[in-house]
Amino acid sequence: MNIKITHNWLLEYLDTDATPDEIREYLSLCGPSIESVEKAGNDYVYDIEVISNRIDYASVLGIAREAAAILPMFGKKAKLLKDYLLKSNDQPLKSELQLEIQDSKNLCPRKLAVVMDVKVGPSPGYIKNRLEACGIRSLNNLIDITNYVMLETGHPAHVFDYDRVKTGKIIVRKAKTGEKITTLDGKEYILNSNDIVFDDGTGRIIDLPGIMGLKNSVVTEKTKKIIFWIETNDPKAIRQTSIRLGIRTVAASINEKNPDSVAAAFALLKGIELYKKTADAKIISPIYDTNPQSEKRKSIDFDYEIFEKKIGIKIEKEIIEKILKNLGFEIIYLESGRMQAAVPSWRANDINIPEDVIEEVARVYGYQNIPSHLQPAVYVKQPKDMENIFVFQNKIKLLLKHLGLNEVINYSMVSKDQLINFGFDPKIHLRLSNTLSKDIEYLRTCLTISLFKNIKDNTGKKEVMKLFEIGKVYLPKNGDLPDEVYKIGIATNTDYFDLKGIIEAIYKELNILDPSVPEITEKDGVFLAEINLQKLINNSRSFPTYKPINPYAVIKLDKTFEITPHTTYEVVCIKAFQSKLLQKIEVVTLYKNKLSLRFYYSSLSRNITEDEAKSELNKIKVLVSHNPTAY
Amino acid sequence: MIDVKEVKNEFQKDIANISSIGENAILHIKYLGRNGLINQLLAEIKNKPDSEKKAYGLQVNLTKKIIEEGINIKTKELSSKKSNVFFDKTLPGKAYPKGSLHIVSYAIEEITKIFEKIGFIRVSYPEVDWEYGAFESLNIPSNHPARDDVETSFIDVPAHSVLGKMVLTPHTSNGQNREMKRVGKPPIRMINISKCYRPNWDAIHTPMFHQFEGLCVDQNIDITNLKGTLDYFAEEYFGKGTKTRLRPHHFQFTEPSFEVDVTCTVCQGKAKINGVKCKVCKSGWLELGGTGMVHPNVLKEGGIDPKKHSGWAFGFGIERVIMMKYGLDDIRNYYSGDIRFLEQF
Repeated sequence: MNIKITHNWLLEYLDTDATPDEIREYLSLCGPSIESVEKAGNDYVYDIEVISNRIDYASVLGIAREAAAILPMFGKKAKLLKDYLLKSNDQPLKSELQLEIQDSKNLCPRKLAVVMDVKVGPSPGYIKNRLEACGIRSLNNLIDITNYVMLETGHPAHVFDYDRVKTGKIIVRKAKTGEKITTLDGKEYILNSNDIVFDDGTGRIIDLPGIMGLKNSVVTEKTKKIIFWIETNDPKAIRQTSIRLGIRTVAASINEKNPDSVAAAFALLKGIELYKKTADAKIISPIYDTNPQSEKRKSIDFDYEIFEKKIGIKIEKEIIEKILKNLGFEIIYLESGRMQAAVPSWRANDINIPEDVIEEVARVYGYQNIPSHLQPAVYVKQPKDMENIFVFQNKIKLLLKHLGLNEVINYSMVSKDQLINFGFDPKIHLRLSNTLSKDIEYLRTCLTISLFKNIKDNTGKKEVMKLFEIGKVYLPKNGDLPDEVYKIGIATNTDYFDLKGIIEAIYKELNILDPSVPEITEKDGVFLAEINLQKLINNSRSFPTYKPINPYAVIKLDKTFEITPHTTYEVVCIKAFQSKLLQKIEVVTLYKNKLSLRFYYSSLSRNITEDEAKSELNKIKVLVSHNPTAY
Repeated sequence: MIDVKEVKNEFQKDIANISSIGENAILHIKYLGRNGLINQLLAEIKNKPDSEKKAYGLQVNLTKKIIEEGINIKTKELSSKKSNVFFDKTLPGKAYPKGSLHIVSYAIEEITKIFEKIGFIRVSYPEVDWEYGAFESLNIPSNHPARDDVETSFIDVPAHSVLGKMVLTPHTSNGQNREMKRVGKPPIRMINISKCYRPNWDAIHTPMFHQFEGLCVDQNIDITNLKGTLDYFAEEYFGKGTKTRLRPHHFQFTEPSFEVDVTCTVCQGKAKINGVKCKVCKSGWLELGGTGMVHPNVLKEGGIDPKKHSGWAFGFGIERVIMMKYGLDDIRNYYSGDIRFLEQF
């Protein structure tokens, strides 16, 4: 999430000589990333990224604390002017007005409240301007102050119209499934039993705490009395409800990250002060705090040496101590080189182990001040099977590229329709339970489904298309992760022998001697084949079988066969290679079913005569003609 | 009586005047034909005194060779001219097939090589994993927002009693625990490049993408080593002079955690081009991705004692580094299969 605060507002908490640009640059290097600083009237607006574990700096006070620790490292003056003011001068009132707060299951651990007489009206100019510069619409003083307090202290706050709550009771409970609410922006939502709500004691829901106020209890132009209210929440419950209902308010984004509960008390006091100043507020009830907290800090113990060991350079003890103290830590040195760091309340959730403390020191010291060295090289053996997968993939990819094919990478998921169209049963595929689109719902078990779609999608864009993909398919296994198998998929819109030639070229490149070419299928003018990469690797040879150059004469003879289902090229080859003198066969031409072949006869030990070769060739004829359908 | 020198001179005059293949053929007959001048010269040999016969024979043969060569060269000249048709050397050469590889494939090869040079081995780990591999082993607890179904793609099968639900891995970090367990004992120098998946599909996100994950675990690995490796990678991949910087960030599986920026490849980190603000970067820097020192809990989960060993890790997007290097920012084209995109690389 991002928040915006203004420079002048920051200066209420920070005494500094740093310019807004310097603050942006230095804080971004060592702390909160300030994405931009822009002039707005006589003020500047910072747009700040708040990372998920640092909700403590999502406020003017939080940024002031960071700046007070970081800016001095860059030689800038920076002093925190005030921190939590935890004591109010207001004496508890003996008032006739009492609130009844019930939370039997402790769903909201800390609840703070006060009832005030107020005058509703527009906010003073500086509040209005600051809120609007920070991207929050100004409505009236009663509502504006809750937002102002949130931005200043980092803790969300809420205001009810005391008279519209009617009963003076606030009961924290879980919602019942099906209960309906209308939020203050007029939208209706249906709740379930995980949602936490406030009830006025009559069964009427008056708030969706920590997320958004409701229409039936919100302040109006007629409001005379308010309940100024702050509670702490269960971050997980806030996130679940807010995401499920799609209500992503700033308050929800903060509350789901567990903001400092000490800040809740500060926010209450800050709010009372502002209501008095801008709405003529008079406190007419006791100030409630259901769980006043003593400041008990947790401590982290570690060897002092660890800083040098993990950061890689020696940082002076005084500097480490200064950095940590500026960040609100308390340091105690123990005997035998140990150190104890007491964590400030606003960091209680994210500082847990010594490494967290190291990070605080290293970042404020400045990563730019830490040198850069490659670690010493060591030899780690790469498993051969992994190496092969990558080496062969690359070899085949380059070969196919040079043969003129185009590589595609498709999503690993396909649609149900695609599976059915290819005759696959969707049930034997892994399915995504939260898919974004029906187009990518099932994990593929073959590559050709997607390649087929690629060729169809490209119709009209290119005439001749030869595509390939090398990637995994996912074969489900019962109760276990699927087998992830690398495949090579090829698709062309040319013809059978074009695709077969491509596959044979791969076999030749890998010196595979006995190519039993995988099945080539044709679907709607697209020729498709798929090869298991691991099987290719297993059958491949790194080097071809070397044959000495044959010094003896080679006799070439041509012969034409009529091919039939029984006299195929393969049958002729098998018969022909029964001759020990035959070195190779070439296809010369194929015209209709007339296949002209060229036979190369030679001996490795002597010169043979043409007659010898002819007699070998004639044997093929004899053998083939034993078959009644042969030539 | 004819003379060798005269025949030679006559040929030089004749050949200079030839302008067609037909004329050249006639010349061939005149000199080299059965009753041609060379044969006539050879016939003269019997009239020469014995002492001159050898020298004379050599002379005639030399002349014959000159004439043969002259005619051959002329033939080539004339035939290449194809009579009077203009020979346009600016026409394209014979067309050889030119295929293409996917832009991600090139990047994967390049990145693999860069890390191989400093001793990192590329590994292959599952894309479909249990929640344990994708989250628990990386110190990401069950209530962490990254595990919401808006952040992770889940598979519709019964959950494993110990390892949790089946997911498509949302990052390459699921290789960390597997590599620690495979190696058993540091040193570890891993580069894991793989497809990753998140339910996010818009102008700048695709539900499938690629990451490359570096993991280095050894004795005495510290922040300076991570910085050294990042500087090395940035210069090798983006070009000499590219600088990196670390900014504080938060990830569950590293502590400290950083975001890495590299100097903008368009404005070279100056944030301005000819006085105008660079359109690509915000401030001279481009965000590369997340990194940090391996969290002690992650080492422990991989069976490594964090008191004895330490490490760093990073995970960057392949599509992102391609975008940063070449400005190819329409990521949706990467996986649409459009031939007009694919065939360009």
